[in-house]
Amino acid sequence: MTFQELIFKLQQFWAEQGCVIHQPYDMEMGAGTFHPATFLRALGPEPWRAAYVQPCRRPTDGRYGDNPNRLQHYYQFQVVLKPPPDNIQELYLRSLARVGIDYRQHDVRFMQDDWESPTLGAWGLGWEVRLDGMEITQFTYFQEIGGVELSPVTGEITYGTERIAMYLQDVKSVFDLVWTESITYRDLHHETEVQGSHYNFEEGDVPLLMHLFQAYETECKRLLAKADKRLTLPAYDYCIKASHVFNLLDARGAISVAERTGYIARVRALAKRCAERYIVERATMGHPLLRGGG
Amino acid sequence: MSDLLLEIGVEELPYQFIVPALTLLQEATERLLKDQRLMFGAIRTMGTPRRLTLIVEGLPSRQAAAVEETMGPPTTAAFDQAGQPTKAALGFAAAHGVAINDLEVRRTAKGEYLFAVKRQEGRHTSAVLTEWLPTVIGGLTFSKTMRWNDTGVRFARPIRWLVAIYGSTVLPFKVAGVTASNRTLGHRVVGGGRWIRLKHAASYPLLLEQRGVIVEPERRRDLIQQQIDAICRECGLVLHEDQVLLEQAVYSTELPTALIGSFNETYLDMPEEVLMTSMKEHQGFFSLRYKETGRLAPYFIAVANTRIENMSFVRAGNERVLEARLADAKFFFEDDRKIRLSERVPKLAGVLFHQQLGTMAQKQERVKRLAGFIAGRLRSANEDLQGICERAAALAKADLVTGIVGEFPELQGIMGGVYALHDGESTEVAMAIREQYLPKGMEGECPCTKAGCILALADRLDSLAAFFHIGLVPTGSEDPFGLRRQATAIVRIIVETNLDVDLAPVIAQARHLVCEDGIAGLPHTDVHGVRVVMEFILERLRHYCRVVCGFRDDVIEAVVKAGGDQPLNLLDLMRKMNALQVVTAKPEFNALLIGFKRVHRLVTKERWTREAVDATRFHHDAESRLYQTLMKTRELVTGSVQAGEYEQTLEALIALKPAIDGFFTEVLVNVEDQAVRQNRLSLLKDIDELFLSVADFAQIVVQGS
Repeated sequence: MTFQELIFKLQQFWAEQGCVIHQPYDMEMGAGTFHPATFLRALGPEPWRAAYVQPCRRPTDGRYGDNPNRLQHYYQFQVVLKPPPDNIQELYLRSLARVGIDYRQHDVRFMQDDWESPTLGAWGLGWEVRLDGMEITQFTYFQEIGGVELSPVTGEITYGTERIAMYLQDVKSVFDLVWTESITYRDLHHETEVQGSHYNFEEGDVPLLMHLFQAYETECKRLLAKADKRLTLPAYDYCIKASHVFNLLDARGAISVAERTGYIARVRALAKRCAERYIVERATMGHPLLRGGG
Repeated sequence: MSDLLLEIGVEELPYQFIVPALTLLQEATERLLKDQRLMFGAIRTMGTPRRLTLIVEGLPSRQAAAVEETMGPPTTAAFDQAGQPTKAALGFAAAHGVAINDLEVRRTAKGEYLFAVKRQEGRHTSAVLTEWLPTVIGGLTFSKTMRWNDTGVRFARPIRWLVAIYGSTVLPFKVAGVTASNRTLGHRVVGGGRWIRLKHAASYPLLLEQRGVIVEPERRRDLIQQQIDAICRECGLVLHEDQVLLEQAVYSTELPTALIGSFNETYLDMPEEVLMTSMKEHQGFFSLRYKETGRLAPYFIAVANTRIENMSFVRAGNERVLEARLADAKFFFEDDRKIRLSERVPKLAGVLFHQQLGTMAQKQERVKRLAGFIAGRLRSANEDLQGICERAAALAKADLVTGIVGEFPELQGIMGGVYALHDGESTEVAMAIREQYLPKGMEGECPCTKAGCILALADRLDSLAAFFHIGLVPTGSEDPFGLRRQATAIVRIIVETNLDVDLAPVIAQARHLVCEDGIAGLPHTDVHGVRVVMEFILERLRHYCRVVCGFRDDVIEAVVKAGGDQPLNLLDLMRKMNALQVVTAKPEFNALLIGFKRVHRLVTKERWTREAVDATRFHHDAESRLYQTLMKTRELVTGSVQAGEYEQTLEALIALKPAIDGFFTEVLVNVEDQAVRQNRLSLLKDIDELFLSVADFAQIVVQGS
């Protein structure tokens, strides 16, 4: 199965479960959780089901394309189910079968992994799912997002698409993955890794990035301060941008251990205010997705 | 008589939650049954990540009947002259819902009274259990809980089914939106996903086993051990025993299957600790050794949670994951060795020790100076030792900024030692770096080398001094920086490696170094600052002496309390305790203790002006005899205390007994002549002080009388 077929199958499976097949968000982010389809939609009473691929950037994980398992840019397949159905684990196992993993022939384990994102002020309990010892999915019941206790809670399933594809295709390096019959992951992304690593570790302009962090933070706050206007969505965009610039600064080694906590707290403060504003906005809009007796 | 079966079906629980939850479940059920007047036979629990189960045998079908008796008015006030019930009697009967004719007259110590006696028949057990089992389940607590549906119920993971059967009757209560039934699920994969209908408790384990679940943890443990033994026998390898891994395997599986896998021999170039940590921490694999050489073999044992005819996929998958981990580790290991530890030291300025306590670079510098200070004060020390300690300390924390310790924090120290050797440092320096975090607590080995002990001690004392300086001290069960464990390590290093060092000046120096580092702290005086740290260490010493050495509480207190402002030599204190425990058990000691306590009471109670004892004022032989004996004893005590021969000291004190007894028989202390009285009290005060200089005998409880 090619890499793109894997994605088609996951999309098809979750579409059948009533998910909106969303598209990737057009911004750099460290995880699919930052996508408004997860971070914002998880807030408030409105039911929601979505699935989408999200390209993720983790600047510090870059290895110049030399490491067969580590990437500074990769693809998560994200599913959010709010509220989570009682058979959510079973659905997940069925999705594995759909992509060709006969879990009866393997050791599938749900191993405790409590998830926390200090940047997003979010946490949840769940597992990492291991297939014969390899972590292939993060499975989380979100309890809080942006410091807000969720009701209902949201179930999040995050597939590591490269890991699963490597398993299915039986290759040892992510770059050997077959994307289509004639194009490999290497063809598409090896250069991304080489150039990305160079930029992240060596070329990033630290004073500029510092300035950008400041500017994004300021813009986010400015938008949030306009109490009479609905501007939460653009404000949240700037929160995402600030978070990514922080990750770049981190990769450049420009942030000392002592300063780290401070930066993370600044992004969290933005995320928290966006979350609070979003809840109010949806309420004033009359919770449009509650229609149809949801 | 019938049995109760309760099973809470859940999504996979964290393995370390299961044993505490089962304990709580059993305790809560026992309480419930007692409160509800239900006798029972055996009660037991069992469980897996997907189920917490309780079986109670021999429950009767009804509660025991209850009789409730309430005393009412006296008969004299209950009936009028015509023998008709009064308002008081009628009111009492009505208040208790008893007909007036059913009230009973009973004779009490105060006369005859009316009694309302209500006999409450026992309810059906099934009704009681249906009513109360939800409370038992709701009462289970976990260190972390979550919500998952609109009931808002919290549990460690979602509850997905409930089984509750009494005899063969289903108890249909509801918890978190789930109604209890007689249906359970087997193993997620092997069980086939169909519901299993249970008839009664007795067949529960067997039916589950047929669907791929070995529900009793002991049986899973036995099974894993048998499987591992069989693998080892077949391959001629020896298991590296690991209790933590075994428990993890027992409680994270329903159907454990041990299997052997291998990895590329070339990874054996890395230190064993790196390999074992890679296998254990990330994957939960057991390590294996060659029988002949005892060296690590390129194999591992994984415990899967399934049984498939062909385990080759599972093996291959686990091997592949380990391969990637080891490749990562090897990359770090090789990369790390390109930079010397000494070149890494400046980077420690970017690593925080604690927000208020500065960086690791600062800490390392303080530890270095403190280690040198300790080495310099040791009686057995030489210049070499001091040099080794200072060199080791100067590199001690550098491994924190290596790749491999970043990946495996538990390898701190160990990797420092490995890299130090690689850099060409001496074996002694490398060993000291390696041993700096030992011992881990009450368990585990102490450092083997003197320099390792000193470095470990300096590191802990610096942490204690630093955290106490800023007032971040343990309170109650809260000890976020593990300071109790650190103090325990200090006690163990000193006691178990026989480190003859006076801690008082070392603590003062540690505190001085922290203050000098510009760390803003509490406005304590130096004396107080040192004392609180000493008290904290003494508290751990008390604990250690009680638990490990088996010293009596009064013996421990007598020695510790007598310490006062004296030097803090833990070895010395323990020697004293040991002698005191031996001597106080002797019968002749009791009588001496009575004499001492009499002396102590007198000099504490009476008021007089103390002066040097004047032998010319003695009137009785008994006085001068006591005085002479005292002077001789004092000499013996001083000598033996200096030599640390505390049994001799105590024997010398015991020898005072006839003189003290003689004094009290022949001499009256409180006489009219003030000069004579003062002289006698001063003599007794000398005796009191001599005793107290050895131990606070007022704490000692007279034994065996």
